[in-house]
Amino acid sequence: MVSTLVWLPTGVIFVQYFYTLKSVKGRSMQPTLNPDSSPWRDIVVFNRFAIRVLRQYERGDVVALQSPADSKLVVKRVVALEGDTVKTLPPYPDAEVRIPPGHAWVEGDESFHTEDSNTFGPVPLALIESKLSFIVWPLQRWGPLHKHFAPDPAAPRNHAWRAEKAAMEREQWRNSRITVADK
Amino acid sequence: MLPTMSVTGEVVWENRMITPDRLSRGDLVTYVSPLDPTRLVCKRLIGLPGDVVCVDPTGTLAPSTEHVVVPKNHVWLIGDNAAASRDSRVYGPVSMALIKGRLVARVWPLSQFTIFRSNFSYID
Repeated sequence: MVSTLVWLPTGVIFVQYFYTLKSVKGRSMQPTLNPDSSPWRDIVVFNRFAIRVLRQYERGDVVALQSPADSKLVVKRVVALEGDTVKTLPPYPDAEVRIPPGHAWVEGDESFHTEDSNTFGPVPLALIESKLSFIVWPLQRWGPLHKHFAPDPAAPRNHAWRAEKAAMEREQWRNSRITVADK
Repeated sequence: MLPTMSVTGEVVWENRMITPDRLSRGDLVTYVSPLDPTRLVCKRLIGLPGDVVCVDPTGTLAPSTEHVVVPKNHVWLIGDNAAASRDSRVYGPVSMALIKGRLVARVWPLSQFTIFRSNFSYID
């Protein structure tokens, strides 16, 4: 009983400021998270320390943020940071947008089933509360999210090869839509 | 926030257990600045979702004829000392997800103890 009382605050601090486990609902981050091939919801570890304490916001990170439209927690990918210019997707009213200071542009990986910056515009960085560090469940995708590289053209063109190729093309297409601001 | 709060600093009582959609016009709210995620700022709530607000009646930051509708789950926040305040006139409506609390009363200095009430008067 006493040890519970001692360890409870430690646990609360750990979950609030360091790492937390969450299960991801919905298909807006397909195929990175919750792909159709998986019968379960993904369970992932979110890193709060990098965001709440270190304030590391990087393009390409998958983050959990409170949606400005309804304050619910959603998982999206940071596409652009302040100063960058983004070519938007419908239904956003302008063709191009420059990200104002202190804001970021977030998008879901599955652009047809997501409510992201293309509907509500650039989001304040303060709404971002943690970033995804690795997938825990299902076990076949266990591990951190990795960068995608062009797969070896000589390798057998099986399902994994095509998935890797598609992921890389999606990443290239996403990067082609942003103009990164000069430092 | 002059003249509501002094430049020398004072102690206020902040209620952090609020539901942002129960706020009313004229409340003093604290929220994380949309310009800088490390800063907590305090402004007066002017417009609730659905309200039509004039962006800047003085015409310095926007034409005085420009009006906007505050979107769903957003509020319009303005500092009391408009000349020295960066608020919704600069960054537009603020999402309710950024709101952290509401100021209830000033507790120090004791001689200036005040309970903050809405200073709004409505014209029919």
